[in-house]
Amino acid sequence: MFKKKTVAMIISVIMLVSLALAGCSSSSSTEEKSADGKKVIKFMHLWPEGSSNAQFSIVKDIIGEYEKEHKDIKIETEILNPDQYREKLKVLASSNELPDIGMTWSDGFIKPYVDGGMLAPLDDVVNKNPDLKDAFIPGVKESYAVDGKTYGLPLELNISYVFYNKEIFKKYNLEVPKTFEEYKKVVKTLADNGVVPATVGAKDGWPASFWFMYLADRIGGPTILTDVIHGKAKMDDPAIVKAAQEVQNLVDMGGFVKGASALSNDDAKGYFMNEKAAMFLTATWELPNYTTSPDVKQEFKDKIGYFKFPTYEGGKGTDINSYVGGPGVGLFVAKDSKVQKEAKDFVGYLVKRWGEKSVTDAGVIPATKVDTSKLKLAPMYIDILKDLSEASNVTTYFDTQSSPAVSELHHDLVTALFGKQITPKDFVKQQADALAKEQK
Amino acid sequence: MKNVMSNKFVITLYVLPALILILLLIYIPIVLTGYYGLMDWNGIGKMKFIGLDNYIELVKDKLFWQSTWHSLLLGLFSTVSLVGYLILSLILASKIKGANFLRKIYLIPMLLSSVAIGQLWAKIFDPTNGMINRLLIIFGVDNPPVWLADSKIALYALFFPIVWQYAGFYIIIFYAALKNVPEELIEAAKIDGATSIQIAYKIKLPLIAGVIKVMVILAIVGSLKYFDLIFVLTGGGPNHASEVMASYMYSEAFSKYNFGYGSAIGFGLLIICLVMTWLIQKLLSSKEVEF
Amino acid sequence: MSKAAMETKINTTLSVPYKTSKSFGNRIGYGVLYVILGIIAIIQIYPLIWLLLFSLKTNQEVFGMSPFSLPQNPQWGNYAKAWSAGHIDVYFFNSVLYTVIAVVLTVILASFVTFAITRMHWKLSGLVLGLFMAGYMIPLHSTLIPLFNIFKSTHLIDNPVSVILSYVAFNLPITIMILAGFYKTLPREIEEAAVMDGCSIHRIFFQITLPMTIPVLSTTVIINMIYNWNEFVFVNTFLSSDKWKTITVGVNNFVGQYLTDWGAIGATLMISIIPVLIAYFILSDRIVEGIAAGSVKG
Repeated sequence: MFKKKTVAMIISVIMLVSLALAGCSSSSSTEEKSADGKKVIKFMHLWPEGSSNAQFSIVKDIIGEYEKEHKDIKIETEILNPDQYREKLKVLASSNELPDIGMTWSDGFIKPYVDGGMLAPLDDVVNKNPDLKDAFIPGVKESYAVDGKTYGLPLELNISYVFYNKEIFKKYNLEVPKTFEEYKKVVKTLADNGVVPATVGAKDGWPASFWFMYLADRIGGPTILTDVIHGKAKMDDPAIVKAAQEVQNLVDMGGFVKGASALSNDDAKGYFMNEKAAMFLTATWELPNYTTSPDVKQEFKDKIGYFKFPTYEGGKGTDINSYVGGPGVGLFVAKDSKVQKEAKDFVGYLVKRWGEKSVTDAGVIPATKVDTSKLKLAPMYIDILKDLSEASNVTTYFDTQSSPAVSELHHDLVTALFGKQITPKDFVKQQADALAKEQK
Repeated sequence: MKNVMSNKFVITLYVLPALILILLLIYIPIVLTGYYGLMDWNGIGKMKFIGLDNYIELVKDKLFWQSTWHSLLLGLFSTVSLVGYLILSLILASKIKGANFLRKIYLIPMLLSSVAIGQLWAKIFDPTNGMINRLLIIFGVDNPPVWLADSKIALYALFFPIVWQYAGFYIIIFYAALKNVPEELIEAAKIDGATSIQIAYKIKLPLIAGVIKVMVILAIVGSLKYFDLIFVLTGGGPNHASEVMASYMYSEAFSKYNFGYGSAIGFGLLIICLVMTWLIQKLLSSKEVEF
Repeated sequence: MSKAAMETKINTTLSVPYKTSKSFGNRIGYGVLYVILGIIAIIQIYPLIWLLLFSLKTNQEVFGMSPFSLPQNPQWGNYAKAWSAGHIDVYFFNSVLYTVIAVVLTVILASFVTFAITRMHWKLSGLVLGLFMAGYMIPLHSTLIPLFNIFKSTHLIDNPVSVILSYVAFNLPITIMILAGFYKTLPREIEEAAVMDGCSIHRIFFQITLPMTIPVLSTTVIINMIYNWNEFVFVNTFLSSDKWKTITVGVNNFVGQYLTDWGAIGATLMISIIPVLIAYFILSDRIVEGIAAGSVKG
C-alpha cells in the first residue's frame, strides 16, 4: 500500500512542477541597473577575442566610445563562438530571455524569431538617422525584413569568387577560365598532372552549396533559386537538375579534393593554404588570409588571385557580374527589452561606426557603402569593392534564404551530392517535396 | 540487527538529497521532453497541441529507425569490445612487471576532451593526408578508401574512435574490480595447481560478475545516447550514413527548429534505452547462474 | 636494455613461489605479451604527443600537412595567446572550483544512496535504484531547454550553482551504478559484526564501508573529474558572465565565424589537460593503495 501511494505521489508532484514550468515561459526580465545606477544593455555577439580579434576589438572600442558619450549607459557583452551562439540563442528564445541586443542571420534564420514575436522592428532607427538612411548597399537591409518591416541591421556583406594559385596555373600554362567549358579544361589539365583542382569542405554542406548555387545561377538564370524559395519556380526545374548534374560531372572528373564529403571547410581550406589545391571557391571573408593577415606568409599571398565564376554555354545566366553571396550577421533588438529605446540607439551607432572601421581594421566588407578613395587598402579589396559596385545581381545564399528545416536538408543533400550518394534527380526531388510541404 | 539496517529515518536521510536532485534536474526534463513531444513547436513563440502526431510520425519515420539501428550497432560493438578491455585488465591486474605504469598510460586518451579527439581522428581518417591512407599507400594500396566520406564505411570507421575513447573508462573500472578480489582465494587456487587462465575464469570473473553486468548496461545505454564524436566528425553524414539517435534528435530540434519532433525523438530514445536495459537484465540474470 | 635481459628481469619478478620452473615457451609467450602491451601503450600515449605538436603549429601546418610532421617553427606564441586572449587565468580557477565541488558532492551523495540501496533493507530499494539508472538514459540536448526554465524560475541563471547542481545530478546515475556493482562484491561480514557490536549506522557507513570502497571511490572520482572538467554545454547555456566561465569555453573562444585558430586551441587543450593528468596519476595509485588501507581497518 505504502509503496503505490508513494510512487503515485512522486509522479504527480513531478508532473505538476513540470507543467507549471512548461507554462511559465513569460519573460521575467526586469530593468536592470548596475551598482552605479546606470542602465544596463545586454549585448550578445559571436566574435570571441581568440578567433576574431579584429572584430572583437572594433566592437569593444565602439562600446567604449558610446559609453563615454552616454554616461548613463553600461553595455554588458556576452561572447560565444558562432556554433554555441546559435545553440544558446535557441534556448534563450524558447524561454523568452533574449538579450537586449544580439546577432542574427538574415532571411530564413530571422523569420521564426520574428514570427514568434521576439524582435523589435528597426525601421525607425534607420529612418530617423540621416547617417544611416542611405548608408546601406541596396537590397542588403531588405534581407532582414519580414512583411515589409526590418528586424535586423546588417553588418557584413560577402560575395563569392574562385580564388586560385597563380603559380600552379602558370606551371601548367593555364588561363583564367571565362566559360564553364574552359573551366573543365583547366580541371582536366590539373587532374591529369596529379594536382587537386579545387578544394571544398563538403561535410559542412554550405561550402559545397556554393558550387551548386553558382551553376544554378549560370544555367537557370540569376533569379532561379530565389524564385524557388518564393514558390515562383520549382526546385525540380530542368536547369537545376542540370546544375546538380554538372556538380557530379566535376566530381567524376576528379575536379575536387578526394573525400570532400568528409572534410570540413577548415580541412578543405588547408589544402589551398598549403598550395596542394589550385582553386578554392569561397567568399570574401577569406580576404584577410590573402592580403593583410600577419599569420600568413607574404609569398603565399602574392600567389593568390581570384576570378569570377565562369558563365555556362547556353545558360540563361549570361552575366559574369552576377554573384552568389549574402549578408552575414546583423543586429537585432529584442521586443521585450526593458531598455529598447537605448538599445536601438546603440544599434544605430554601432552599425555606422562599424561601417567606418571594419574594412580597414578587420578586413570585413561591411553592408554599408565604403568610400574607397579615402582609405588605404590592399589592391584586392579595391578591386572587389569595385566589383561589388558594378554587380548586376547578388543572389543570397540558398541556405540563408530558406527556412532552417530546408536549409539543413539542403546541407545534408549537397554533401550527399558531392559524395555521389544520391542522384541529381533525387537531390532536387527531396528538396522540392520539403519546399512544397512548407508552402502549403 | 534488522532494525539498524532498516531504519526508515536513516534510509530517507541517505537517499533523499540525491533523489530530490535527480527528480528535479532529470525527471522534470524527461517529463517535459515527453510533453513537448505532443506539441507542434519550433522552440520560439507559441506551441500548438497536436496530440500524438509527432509520436505517430516517429514510428513511421525511416530515418529514425535507421539511426536507431546505427545506435544499436554501436552498442553491440561497444559490448564486444568489453571482452578486450576485460582481458587487458586481467593482464594489468595480475602481478606483471610494469603493470602500474602501463595502466596509467592506457588511460590517457580518456582525459582528452571530445574536441581534441575529434581533431585527432579527422587527421587520421583524412583521405589524402591522413595517417591510415599514407600507410596504405606506402604498402602499395593504390586506391585507399575515403573512410568517413564513404557512406558504406563511415559508420563502422566511427566505431573505432568511439570505442577507443572509452577504453580507459572500462579498463579502470575492471581493474579496480579485479584488485578487489581477495588475494587469499587466488593463492589457494595456485596451491591447488590452477593455471592463471583457470583462476581468471573460475575465480576472478565470477566474483566481478556484478561489475561486468553494470558495464554491459553502461556500454549499451551509453552507445544508444552517444553523440559527441559523431557530431564532430561526420555530423551524421554523408547522407545519414552515420546518423545515430542523438545526432538525429539534435539536427531536428536545434538545426531544423522542429523542437516538438526533436523532443519526441529524445523521448523515443529514452524508451528504447529502458527496453534494452530491461532485456539485458533478463538475459544476464539467467546467465549469472552459470558462473 | 636488451630484449633477453628484459625477459629475464620479467621472469624473475613473475616467478611465483609455487611454480618456479618456467618453460622456454612461457618466456616467448611473455615476450609476445610485452610487445603487444608496448604497442598498445604507444597507441595510447600518442594522442598526448600529437596534441603537444599540434599546439605548436600554425593553422597551415595543422591542415594539409601530415599529422606526423613536426612543427617547422614551434609557435610558442600559441600558449601566450591561449593565456591572454583565451582568459585562461580566470577560467582555470572556475574549472577547478566547479569540478572539485561537483565531484565531492557526487561521490558522497552516491555513496549514501548505494549504501542505503545495497546494504539496508527496505521495500522501495529496487525501484529507487531503477529511478537512478533511468536517469542515465536521457540525451543531454533534450534537457537543455527544460533545465534552463528550471534555473530561470529559481533565479540560478548566470550562477555557478546551476552548473554544479547539473554536474552532480547528471553524474549521480552512472556513479551509483558503478558503486552498486562494487558494493555487491564486498563482504558483508564485517558490517554485520559491527551491527552486533552495537555500532551506529553512521559509524558503520563512515568508518567501515567507506574506507573499504576507497579503490572504487578513486575510480569514480577520476571519471567524474574528467567528465566535469571537459563539459561545456551546461556552462555555455546557463552562465553568461565571463567571470564564471570555465576552461572549455576558453577552447571555444578560438573557434570563429570564418577562422578558427587551431594552434591556440591545441595550446589551451594542452594547458587544460595538465591538472587532470596530475590528479589522475595521484588518484590512480589510490586504486591499489586503498585496498591495503581498507583491509587494515577491517
